[in-house]
Amino acid sequence: MNESWGDAGAAVAARAVTKTYGNGVRAVRGVDLQVPPGEIRAVVGENGAGKSTLMKLFYGLEQPSSGEILIGGRPRVLRGPGAAIALGVGMVHQNLMLVPSFTVAQNVVLGVEPGRRGLVDVKAAIETTARLAQESGLAVDPVARVDEVSVGMRQRTEILKALHRKARVLILDEPTAVLTPQETEDLFAAVRRLRDGGMTVLFISHKLREVREISDKVSVMRAGSLVATVATADATERSLAAMMVGRDLSLDVERAPARPAGTTLRVRNLEYRAVTGQSLHGLDFDVAAGEIVGVAGIEGNGQTELAEILAGLRRPTAGTVHVDGTDTAGLDVAGHRGAGVGYVPEDRLHDGAALDESIADNLVVDRHDRPPLARRGILRPKAVRAHAEQLISDYAIRTPDPSVPVRSLSGGNMQKVIVARELSAGPRLLIASQVTRGVDVGAMRFMYERLVEARDQGAAVLLISADLTELLALSDRLLVIKDGGLVARFDDTTGLTEKRVGLCMLGVERHDRERLTAGQDSAGEGARA
Amino acid sequence: MTATLVETEDRRAYRATRRRDLAVDLSMTLATILAALAIGFVVMLATGKDPVRAYEAMLTGPLERSFRVGRWLEDATTLTLLGLSVAIPFRARQISLGAESQLYAGALAAAMVAIFVPLPPVVAVIVPLVAAAAAGAGMGLVPGAMKARLGANEIVATLMLNAIAVRVYDYLVNGPLKQPGSTAVHSDPIRPDSALTPLQEWFGVPLGRANTGFVLMLLTAVALWLLITRTPLGYRIRMTGSNPDFAEYGGIRVPRAIEWSFVIGGAVAGLAGAHLVQGVYGRLEPGLAGSLAFEGIVVALLARNNPLVVVVAGLFYSYLRSGGDIMEQQTDVGTEIVVVIQAVIVLLVTAQALPDLLKRRIARRQAGVR
Amino acid sequence: MSSVLDVVLSSAFLAAVLRVATPYLLAAFGGLVAERAGISNIGLEGQMLSAACTGALVAGYSGSVTAGAVCGIAVAALLGLLLAALRLELGADAIIAGIGLNLLASGATAYTVFTFLDDKGGTSGLKSGTLPTVALPGIESIPVLGDVLSGQNTVTWLAFLAAPAVAWLFYRTRFGFHLRAVGEMPEAAASVGIAVRRVQYAGLALSGALAGLAGVFLSMGYVSFFVRDMTAGRGFIALAAVFLGGLRPWGVFLAALGFGAAEALAVQLGTLDVPPQLVSTIPYALTLVALAVYAWRRKRRGAGEVTAASM
Repeated sequence: MNESWGDAGAAVAARAVTKTYGNGVRAVRGVDLQVPPGEIRAVVGENGAGKSTLMKLFYGLEQPSSGEILIGGRPRVLRGPGAAIALGVGMVHQNLMLVPSFTVAQNVVLGVEPGRRGLVDVKAAIETTARLAQESGLAVDPVARVDEVSVGMRQRTEILKALHRKARVLILDEPTAVLTPQETEDLFAAVRRLRDGGMTVLFISHKLREVREISDKVSVMRAGSLVATVATADATERSLAAMMVGRDLSLDVERAPARPAGTTLRVRNLEYRAVTGQSLHGLDFDVAAGEIVGVAGIEGNGQTELAEILAGLRRPTAGTVHVDGTDTAGLDVAGHRGAGVGYVPEDRLHDGAALDESIADNLVVDRHDRPPLARRGILRPKAVRAHAEQLISDYAIRTPDPSVPVRSLSGGNMQKVIVARELSAGPRLLIASQVTRGVDVGAMRFMYERLVEARDQGAAVLLISADLTELLALSDRLLVIKDGGLVARFDDTTGLTEKRVGLCMLGVERHDRERLTAGQDSAGEGARA
Repeated sequence: MTATLVETEDRRAYRATRRRDLAVDLSMTLATILAALAIGFVVMLATGKDPVRAYEAMLTGPLERSFRVGRWLEDATTLTLLGLSVAIPFRARQISLGAESQLYAGALAAAMVAIFVPLPPVVAVIVPLVAAAAAGAGMGLVPGAMKARLGANEIVATLMLNAIAVRVYDYLVNGPLKQPGSTAVHSDPIRPDSALTPLQEWFGVPLGRANTGFVLMLLTAVALWLLITRTPLGYRIRMTGSNPDFAEYGGIRVPRAIEWSFVIGGAVAGLAGAHLVQGVYGRLEPGLAGSLAFEGIVVALLARNNPLVVVVAGLFYSYLRSGGDIMEQQTDVGTEIVVVIQAVIVLLVTAQALPDLLKRRIARRQAGVR
Repeated sequence: MSSVLDVVLSSAFLAAVLRVATPYLLAAFGGLVAERAGISNIGLEGQMLSAACTGALVAGYSGSVTAGAVCGIAVAALLGLLLAALRLELGADAIIAGIGLNLLASGATAYTVFTFLDDKGGTSGLKSGTLPTVALPGIESIPVLGDVLSGQNTVTWLAFLAAPAVAWLFYRTRFGFHLRAVGEMPEAAASVGIAVRRVQYAGLALSGALAGLAGVFLSMGYVSFFVRDMTAGRGFIALAAVFLGGLRPWGVFLAALGFGAAEALAVQLGTLDVPPQLVSTIPYALTLVALAVYAWRRKRRGAGEVTAASM
């Protein structure tokens, strides 16, 4: 089927493509784009700039409202992914599209299974997968179930899926968001190898550093339009960022030096044995009132488990956790909240909000049974509404009404609802996990200011993030977590570089136990006994 | 300044959208009913019946004589209580199909007290009601606790309990509780003091077996509406149903909210059983519930689990049921056509995409006009 | 007690188990296929009922048992497709739509029978015949097994063949792969060009057809007439077997067989001066207990690893 490609011209192209959704949103406006064969083309832009929609048009998941999509030099009408696949287009989605209970090999061949007369030849599937993995350098275990392998292997599985379908164009939608630096390196090496073999790669990202590292050319999108295409060699992160937002971008946060008071959070010898996921091993650390302590680490090294233990969603196996003197290790979530713990969860869609319920109802989950919202066992709708209106104006949540369901808000506004709830509770300890993931630059700045403000009002803030720039900009102190244990601690973050922290995240640099626990009282021992 | 202008504009647009959506919902419901009646019309015509006469009997029949109104209200009382009983667990997103078992538990409890325990007036009415609610709640607690504490599938658990309850009830009515010396299968009658007062005594016109249970049902609906919208427990049930992970994250004890939803639902279904014993039959009859429990589910779903709307849906549904009986008596059309009409209504109402399609089309047209 | 044992060990009882389990098995496999395709088929009951009614009527009027069976199964398959269409095209909730279909089947079958035969109860006034039995040459001569297997209905044989057939379909065929992928992760299936809706339609049609075969067995297996609401909740019990069987073909097979065995036992014990209603609660009570124990053990296993490791 790939024979229908023309000999000359671009591998993929868009001609004056516009996509208007049924609800009137114009996601892509008059885009002209040409990507020649054998090129790695990065497409960058803010959230909602239209990158993903454009890719969906190339992959047949959406159809353009006007204009043409060209693949292999010819205009095509892609009625679905099947048509795109047949023309040699493969896509690795941001949310991986794998069937969890199937093996790697079964996922690779899904839709184009080997075998005759409607049967699936499982052995052939395994052999094919192993061979493809060998040829491309993308190491996978063909017979492992997908829900039991690492995120990196899942992503390699996705790429093998495209290769198995003889893809000549590979679309990677934010592929590094879930990868460790080492896995990112491996991915880049594999992508370069594919490019050298003639593959055209479309690489979607908003991590400008990675874009500079991997791509040959960069196309910048803003508000649905393609604003520029430049050779990567001629671009700097700063110039790209400026094109993305249309102004010079600076995310430096102005903050006074921290004035830490007494210890608010004291964690001693924290152990957690995970049935699935990462276990934690002997964590000792303090967070003082009035300071932001960052937790750096490659995702999946125990950050989620740590945050959920501190918030009361999981019980530690051993060790003590004290919040302002209250032993919280044995308490449930309500007990933690009572002790003054606020938590901005990393996955806001999963547990941060009830999407179909109103903003007003989402803002009161931790306080719905207390005055002024409830009196004598009766919930007061007027008070709930007034409470919501107050927070909507305090936190600049853009919505016509408090009764609007949270689902209809943008990512940034949704996150504002959660942050508004957690901060307005006046927490003694705030655990903020990936606060700015998937929100736009404006909301990002807003979150930063609020976190610093909370700190200055005396909250102890534990900031967990995958974004090193963010951590270095905000943290007064920084901890590094690896394989469920602390490996580094920086009590002064001025002058600390991302590279140095990166080395700790990879385990190249390690601090000894003395430095990790310096200055910590050992009163935890008594409490444990 | 501009920001506030934009916001006012947004707010106005949002309110207009809400009003329009409500209007569409209401007219769609009406259109749905008409469409279902039209289908029934065609079916009758196709099978050689006289649909005009049949519909005349069905749609005007229940109001023609006061005792028919009574028949309607009596049926609506049980049906609405059953609808309310599943609406509460449904709000916690628990698919409880156990109203049948809870009804039988309630009926048995009410009958035991009302037949065997001598009590002073008024108390004699209340105690069996309370016993029925408690028995229903207990019956609801079993699948509720199994789901909340152990994670056992509630659909299977409630279906099994139904199967058990129906058989145990059948055994009791045919065996230990059967009225001695009677050839027909039923229990002893309840003591007169325990009977729910017939509405006939209030209004002075013959209203059949309709009784103060109807008022009890209305009060229950209002109470449940207040529970869901105006109490912390109701809030917890709603959040648990909407997103249990969010509820847990927010400090709500999710298992307890789930259990409560089953217990409350069970108590209401128990009341439905008491209504049948103390208000309608005055004794235990075999197969007391008929197919009412499942129709209660339909009523709850039609009302989108809103307790106040459940009353409207229950009244409407019962109207069709009693109209169907009258139609069968007066014409050669079987009452089953009503079941077909009801089924078509259910299928049309659950087709969510229909009103959404319409709303979107209206929105687009208005946008185009501007 | 010995009399109970006598009953259980008799070949007549075992033969009865096979017979009674037949509709449960078929309907449960129907439920399983739909569940794995990602659409719960609460409408099993209605599909069985419609098939039973259609089968008896068509067989009665045409004089052909085969035509009756084919039409019955076809009607049930169409109802499966209708459920899929309501879910997929009109955004209906599968559970509610399924309940609606059951209601429709209950009303429509009764109305139809009344219209054709002027009888509210069923089609006993119509001669419709039964489906053939399988006579394997020489099987009667095998002790015990011969008595159990000989004279069983074709549909019973099909019901027992359905377990390996469904397992083979799920794990060996392309359609089964696609069906499971679509049910578990429709986005993933769509992204590789699988026509998700088409697979779901096919799954629901198959689901309905299996339920239809179960229904045809009810009205044309051992009796030769349709009785109003003759499925008597079997569709729901089958659904329970689907979940109890852990959504796996052999698990569902065992669960459905268990329901059949228990019901057969209740009928047999009814002859022994035990209240039949109480005896017949046994399978349901056992299922309830099994459900609780199973859930409890699963939960304890999940938590147990944590506590065990902490020691």
